[in-house]
Amino acid sequence: MKTQSSPTAALPLAHVVLRVLIFANWFMGVAIFLLLVATPNELWIMRAFHIPHSPEGSRLVMGLRAIAVLGLIAVPLNYAMLKRLLAMVETVRAGDPFVAANAARLQTIAWVLLALQLLSIAIEAIAKAVSIPGQPLHMHAGFSINGWLTVLLTFLLARVFAEGTNMRDELEGTV
Amino acid sequence: MAITVKLDDLLHDRRMTLTELADRVGMTLANLSILKTGKARAIRFSTLDAICEALACQPGDLLRYETVQEVERAK
Repeated sequence: MKTQSSPTAALPLAHVVLRVLIFANWFMGVAIFLLLVATPNELWIMRAFHIPHSPEGSRLVMGLRAIAVLGLIAVPLNYAMLKRLLAMVETVRAGDPFVAANAARLQTIAWVLLALQLLSIAIEAIAKAVSIPGQPLHMHAGFSINGWLTVLLTFLLARVFAEGTNMRDELEGTV
Repeated sequence: MAITVKLDDLLHDRRMTLTELADRVGMTLANLSILKTGKARAIRFSTLDAICEALACQPGDLLRYETVQEVERAK
């Protein structure tokens, strides 16, 4: 059953924004990867960031590298989420959003958001562990109530879509 | 499902085609075919009312509860 609703600018805009975010995500991934493999040795990084040449300084550089690796892990996770969101936008544009595929997509997005929240906590933990008094590391990551509420909301929405799909199928078979 | 739709028999008795019935009750041929082929999951009372009026029949003439054994025996 297709729903007829008045066309809005929101859907084409969402389509464009998501495509831009997908590109930006891959761009960030490439940038982080190049930063990890192409930066010269530890001493160079220390001089560039005015990090004291000490055991703590070495730990800080190692921590930065670990955070970069975690950032790299986030790239395919972000892509998995954005790709599915884009597919969902297309189903809404087609006027048929209550399909089983969307319930599955939302479920996956919820798991991705959960993984990203865990990555965020790990990044913050590393930043706190390697920060030194002269070089505190602020990553604006860590535990976020909003982030976790979003995870919960997305799992709930996936359930709602699954029920909506069942209701739609029921309606399709009603004469 | 054990509920069977006896639309074929009723249409044959009244010398009516499915298309004519669809026109009379204001349903699409596609929906009526869904009903005729036993693929419908539910029927609205309004639809049942329109079909019974068009075919001058009772709901019991159109819908029957048949167990698998009864269907096998009828064959």
